Amino acid sequence: MNTQLCAIKGSRDGLVVTISDAARFAEVLTALEEQLIASESFFQGSTVKLLVRQGTLSPSQLDQIERIITRYGMNLDRQPPSWGLTAAAREAPVPAARSEVEHNTLLVKRTIRSGQRLHYDGNVVVMGDVNPGAEVVCTGDILVLGSLRGVAHAGAEGKTDAIVFAFRLEPTQLRIAHVISRAPDEKLPQPQGPEIARVVGDRIQLSVYNH
Amino acid sequence: MGKVIVITSGKGGVGKTTTTANIGTGLAALGQKVCLVDTDIGLRNLDVVMGLENRIVYDLLHVVEGQCRLRQALIKDKQFGDRLVLLPAPQTREKDAVTPEQMKELMKELREEYDFVLLDSPAGIEHGFKNAVAGADHAIVVTTPEIAAVRDADRIIGLLEAAELYDPQLIINRVRPGMVRRGDMMSIGDIDDILAIEILGVVPDDQDIIVSTNRGEPVVTNPKSRAGQAYRNIARRLLGEEVPLMNLEERKVMHWFKRLLSGEAQ
Repeated sequence: MNTQLCAIKGSRDGLVVTISDAARFAEVLTALEEQLIASESFFQGSTVKLLVRQGTLSPSQLDQIERIITRYGMNLDRQPPSWGLTAAAREAPVPAARSEVEHNTLLVKRTIRSGQRLHYDGNVVVMGDVNPGAEVVCTGDILVLGSLRGVAHAGAEGKTDAIVFAFRLEPTQLRIAHVISRAPDEKLPQPQGPEIARVVGDRIQLSVYNH
Repeated sequence: MGKVIVITSGKGGVGKTTTTANIGTGLAALGQKVCLVDTDIGLRNLDVVMGLENRIVYDLLHVVEGQCRLRQALIKDKQFGDRLVLLPAPQTREKDAVTPEQMKELMKELREEYDFVLLDSPAGIEHGFKNAVAGADHAIVVTTPEIAAVRDADRIIGLLEAAELYDPQLIINRVRPGMVRRGDMMSIGDIDDILAIEILGVVPDDQDIIVSTNRGEPVVTNPKSRAGQAYRNIARRLLGEEVPLMNLEERKVMHWFKRLLSGEAQ
């Protein structure tokens, strides 16, 4: 099978497409397409990085890969993953700094209810509650000026210094970058005031917010 | 011009049909002209709760398809006659036999004639729900003090907003004050904390409901029933009266005596 030629895997850097041999480019393309078809829309909306183990991809080959990936509803981040850098990957063109995008902030002046999802490229501020069954996913920080009882995913594209803040932080599940934590099964005492969640080591830590 | 109110919940079995029947009957008892519409196509039971099942000749689908005139399909209530009528749902057809546009047209016609049109929505959020919501200008969400029901109510409130039905009102059904007191049941406060919409009424869990449903006589006409009292209050609130929420604990001692006498106390 061609699967060894090209593999899509989740990592602490987000989704990474690993290409084992750039010289067999035509086969790589077929393998990639096959895998994307098999995964249906599972990866839709996510951003993918490329890792080339052997050989080099020319800019036009990169463009071809990007077209396929875009067709399946994903974005290609040409910045190589932070690990396993190869000479070839380092030669890939680097896009302009993304810091501008990360400073975008969406202000939501309503309660996000069960079944409703909010995806945003940037920070999100909710003036209202995030109810159980609701989901907020963004690439930056999440601030909830109310109760956060649903699922929150901050730094969804791997920004580990993202934070989640809420006046009442009682989420079903918290995710920051690649770290996931869930509420304990036993009932906890209600938080007394605003709390903030951030990644410390490889875990999410909650602390009382002191200004 | 009458008001068209959809009564919905998302989750099944929380008491939408009972609520529709009782609010409708309660409003009729206060002198309003009321039309109840069962939109639960294929699984109708508002006619059963109203005790009118044996009078059905035509239904909602016959009306929208033009096989009969609207007036022919409306069934008069046993007690209130012309002032309380029911438009039953077809039992033998599929849910998508009716379209939201047809419902809108029908509601336009009904609101000319009646002060209140109450739509009993099916459970779920699919086609039947969309039909029920289509012609309404106001929504009442029914929930019970259970996490699953409250979660679905929350989802429904979101969907109602998407359908441009803002500021729905909430009825909390089947509350058991004893269990709430012991911390075994969500309290009104817990529910309000999550849903944060106006509470139209709180209905205590009451065995009279089962008795009256089986008899086909809405409990609202039973002056002794606590749930009946709750529904009478809701009907008055819908007419704009300020009625404080019932104190569910007030007859605790009486209740205890009753249970003692009926031998349930142990």
